[in-house]
Amino acid sequence: MSNVSPPPPPPPPPPPGTRISSPTPSEPLIGAEDLSAWPGTGPVMVEAIGVTKSFGDVVAVSDVTFQIGSGVTAILGPNGAGKSTLFRMLCGLTQPSSGTVTVLGRNAGADREVRGRIGLAPQQDALFDRLSAGAFVALAAQTHGVVRAESRTREVLAQVELDVDDPKPVGSFSKGMRQRVKLAAALVNDPDVLVLDEPLTGLDPIQRQRMIALFGELAERGKCLLVSSHVLDEVARLGSNVLVLAQGRLAAAGDYRSLRDLMDDRPHRVRVGTDRPQQLAAALIERGSARGVTVLADAVIVDIDDIDGFGRIIAPLTVDLGLRLDELVPLDDDLESVFRYLVERRR
Amino acid sequence: MTQSVSTVRSVLLTHRLLVRQLLTPGRLLALLSLGAVVVLAAVGVAASDEVEDPARTIIEVMDGLGLVLVVPVVSLVFASASLGDLREDGTLVYLWLRPMDRLSVVAGAYLAALTVSLPLTTLPLAAAALVGKATVDGVIATVVAASFGVLAYSAAFVLLGLMIRNPIIWGLAYVLVWEGIFARFSEPVGNAAVRGYTRSLLANLSDVGLGPAAEANTSTAVLVCVFVAAGSLAMAAVRLNRMEVD
Repeated sequence: MSNVSPPPPPPPPPPPGTRISSPTPSEPLIGAEDLSAWPGTGPVMVEAIGVTKSFGDVVAVSDVTFQIGSGVTAILGPNGAGKSTLFRMLCGLTQPSSGTVTVLGRNAGADREVRGRIGLAPQQDALFDRLSAGAFVALAAQTHGVVRAESRTREVLAQVELDVDDPKPVGSFSKGMRQRVKLAAALVNDPDVLVLDEPLTGLDPIQRQRMIALFGELAERGKCLLVSSHVLDEVARLGSNVLVLAQGRLAAAGDYRSLRDLMDDRPHRVRVGTDRPQQLAAALIERGSARGVTVLADAVIVDIDDIDGFGRIIAPLTVDLGLRLDELVPLDDDLESVFRYLVERRR
Repeated sequence: MTQSVSTVRSVLLTHRLLVRQLLTPGRLLALLSLGAVVVLAAVGVAASDEVEDPARTIIEVMDGLGLVLVVPVVSLVFASASLGDLREDGTLVYLWLRPMDRLSVVAGAYLAALTVSLPLTTLPLAAAALVGKATVDGVIATVVAASFGVLAYSAAFVLLGLMIRNPIIWGLAYVLVWEGIFARFSEPVGNAAVRGYTRSLLANLSDVGLGPAAEANTSTAVLVCVFVAAGSLAMAAVRLNRMEVD
């Protein structure tokens, strides 16, 4: 079997509000464009320039550069891609090994004022478990210096559908409720920049829908929301700009549609179950319907460029050949495959 | 919608939160038991016919059990946990990523540790001194020495909690081995240990000689304890500012 690298598809247009640059400008990158032109309409609110973070020999984030303005930007990547480390650097919780990260033009770790304009919902589940939700969010309000902390606490807890008067400690809450407590605490100071690390994890579908609507409302008010996720469908519903992080590197940027197109346009691999795999493989190669084939005992693994076109020809072909078609299973129709493809493209 | 958080407000908010976090039933029970051991020892001293000078003997018990064990261990447990527990369980971010200066967070943690540790050390030790037939000066000396010990140890252990994981283990090693053994018998080591100064306070104020490594004058002992506390808190604030937070 032969595997040939696909030709790179033309880069989709960069989304408004997001600019991404490759560390080596000669290297094509999806959504890449000249750093000198800021495509967004509003000011840059979050900026990373050549950011690398290493923990010993492990490089968690490698040479990442982007600028983000207002709106929702999703950081999409598999677990271990470096999303949380990137967020920690943005918030000043850890300093980059090299490069610079600024929020509202300053280093959040060193600037007290900027810390008051950030809302963070961290990924880890830790809360002050002996406090009630009301006490926890009220503490966040007070430590942010929120004027009328009590009414604001009530307001944000209502937004996430929790009862401020519920005396139960958050330690007894379900994962979804704890997630909502974190979100309320992140919202309580009405921050300009919201950093939400996997904020929809543990929420039921209705709560997810409401949170996504809330994120949209905040974006419309000019807030900058950074939302990490490893679930493509979530990103689709956020309707957001997307930065794809894979193996610590910024693999792509675009709006969600660009990413979806990329998923469809990239090479695919399909398992075709049949009673005569050798005959089917020969026919596919002869007709130029496959880039490569691997013949198994009861199936053919087919590498193709056009998944839709292949779907149209395979059934008539098996009929013409008098073969039995047992199954047609995409082997790489998941986000991990897209990430792998993007990373390989960058090499 | 927001206004700057004053230093005093930051201290009070941190203090209120951490007192609540520190006071767990398990900790209280364990450390009250420790105090009870000293009281029981005092009962033994008072009841014994073989003790010729109970007022002196009880001060020696306060030195050997109170200042070696109760004061540093209670301080260690609460002070190292004040910010150390938050650091380890991932909740420190909820104080760290706030528009509050670091020193006020450290000061709030220190005051929370003192709020819990001072009554848990001074009350059992004062009770033990009374039960053991200490003089009035002996009781006062016990309370003062324990209080300054808590002031110094707590600050040092707040710093320790921010510096290393498992601060209890390292803190106990320091308290029991360095201060409990070396500082007791060696004057140079005693001069480099908080215990040397708390012993000096106990000895000077009770007028009971406690031997070597307890010979600093009262002013020096007080100043050293205050200096250790202030220095440790300043270093803790710097550490908090520079540390990586999960």
